[in-house]
Amino acid sequence: MGLLDAFDPREASPTTDGILTNRGRFGILALIAALAVLGPIAASVRPFWLYLLVQILAFALLALSLDFVFGYAGLLSFGHAAMFGAGGYAVALLVTHVTPNALVVLPAAVLTGVVVAAFIGWFSVRARGIYFAMLTLAFAQIFYVAAFADLPASILGVETITGGDNGLVGLAALEAFGVVDLSSRLNYYFLTLALVALSLLAIVRIANSPFGRVLQGVRENEDRMAFIGYDVERYKVIGFAISGGFAGLAGGLYVPFQSLAQPQLLHWTLSGELVVMLLLGGLGTLWGPMLGAGVVILLEEQLSGFAAWEVILGAVFVVVVVFAPQGLAGVLVSLRDDPKDALGNVRDALANYREKVLK
Amino acid sequence: MSEPLLRTDSVTKRFGKLTAVSDVSLSIPEGGISSIIGPNGAGKTTLFNLFTGKHAPTEGSIEFRGDPIGGLEPHEIVGRGIVRSFQITNFFAELSALENVRLATQADRTGFAPDDFLAHHASLSEATDEAEAVLERIGLLDVADRTAANLAYGQRRHLEIGIALATGPDLLLMDEPTAGMGPEQTDATVSLIENIAEDATVVLIEHDMEIVMNVSERIAVMNNGELIARGTPDEISRNEAVQRAYLGGE
Repeated sequence: MGLLDAFDPREASPTTDGILTNRGRFGILALIAALAVLGPIAASVRPFWLYLLVQILAFALLALSLDFVFGYAGLLSFGHAAMFGAGGYAVALLVTHVTPNALVVLPAAVLTGVVVAAFIGWFSVRARGIYFAMLTLAFAQIFYVAAFADLPASILGVETITGGDNGLVGLAALEAFGVVDLSSRLNYYFLTLALVALSLLAIVRIANSPFGRVLQGVRENEDRMAFIGYDVERYKVIGFAISGGFAGLAGGLYVPFQSLAQPQLLHWTLSGELVVMLLLGGLGTLWGPMLGAGVVILLEEQLSGFAAWEVILGAVFVVVVVFAPQGLAGVLVSLRDDPKDALGNVRDALANYREKVLK
Repeated sequence: MSEPLLRTDSVTKRFGKLTAVSDVSLSIPEGGISSIIGPNGAGKTTLFNLFTGKHAPTEGSIEFRGDPIGGLEPHEIVGRGIVRSFQITNFFAELSALENVRLATQADRTGFAPDDFLAHHASLSEATDEAEAVLERIGLLDVADRTAANLAYGQRRHLEIGIALATGPDLLLMDEPTAGMGPEQTDATVSLIENIAEDATVVLIEHDMEIVMNVSERIAVMNNGELIARGTPDEISRNEAVQRAYLGGE
């Protein structure tokens, strides 16, 4: 289980100077290789699985982008749907009006995410904790309403821009200078897999960089960081903007595959679901939330026939939070380290819950 | 006489109706150890908060090397060379002792370089070397890898000083560095303070009179937000206003 060695900032970073060990690198490569093999199999056995895999990868990237600021810098963003949706709409608009060239529209999605996040971040980082969370949520809702009511069209006096509550539908498939056909679902899957893998490596790199270390310091003790000379707000805005770029890319990958951009991409419920993915997966581990995204989407897929599938998701969430506060990542790490001990932890958690909550 | 390192002119800080610091004018020359003493609530820590940008003065001015600094942000003041340690240990509990100090040594106050984002943190070797030198100086090199939260009380207090020291200050403001320590730890801390004062100006807030009288070259006494006396330890120990403030007589 090399991947489990990869990044666990709370465990590994205080005492070691190497979060991404060689075993971790190997684990990531093995997982990417496995997913690369899985794609063609899924495509030939049941194409719907491929659809599901792309969806999981896009949300894994979104969860990763949020964990970078939530888990690393302690910025409780409840508005990451804004960057996801903005990236998605940027791609939809470019495909409709300018070009379906992936080499143009995907960088544009990143840029849009960065700009939207810098804007939201600039206004929000002065507030902390729950106030920061509420501000990001409010901004995201403004974007949602703007898309839903097609405010840009009203302001510019044209018929439609965002497509209002219907969104932008029937988008053309992406291509790359006519060389790569991205209307092939399998090709698109490979593109998504490659970009998500590169994003993961980039974020691990940034998290390990001097800048990432500063973000950790901000999470641990924001005030003290200011008193040793850091312009904390600036670091937070830049961290938020970087995160927004990856969230924008996630939206930019998600929308063309659905060939649909709708206001729901910007809705607060999506931001909330994202926070569930993070807590379920293991906050601050980077790889855990990606896993959490996969679990939530698979659960949703399997259970959506059942009228109130959220009830089951909610129950799973409660069980994880009570018995494994460090999420699935924490469970996997402790199972790897010492299976017996892991069961002991469950007993401890239950005793703790009885004592502190039920009493 | 050369220009003072830090000078305040009629500095006042009010919180609503409460005047925490009232019309304080003092100057701190470069080098050596100065102390600020006074009963609880005298306004000593508020004065530090004003010097370090936590609060802006309501009235009056603060100058460092002749430049006004009143109302600057904390990080800007650190950039000028004024750094503080805290009365209540204020560190990065989940990080190692080394990382605590390294956050201070890696602080680059000139802005961002692309390398800040892309370099692997192993490339922080220069900051790490500096951090280790600081840990050695504060006697914590052998527990460099220990998580700060797991250090003993005296070690935490030294780490608190080490974080401030690691920024390379010209003026180090220390808020009760020996609070809560036993005699042995106190001696070690006093030695550390004297060692630091060899290459930085130190201002202490301290309740332990023995320490204050032994290490300070100059003492300022505050009571009810006002500066009631300044002078050498000898002058202060003979000062009637100081005796009244401490004995509670009128």
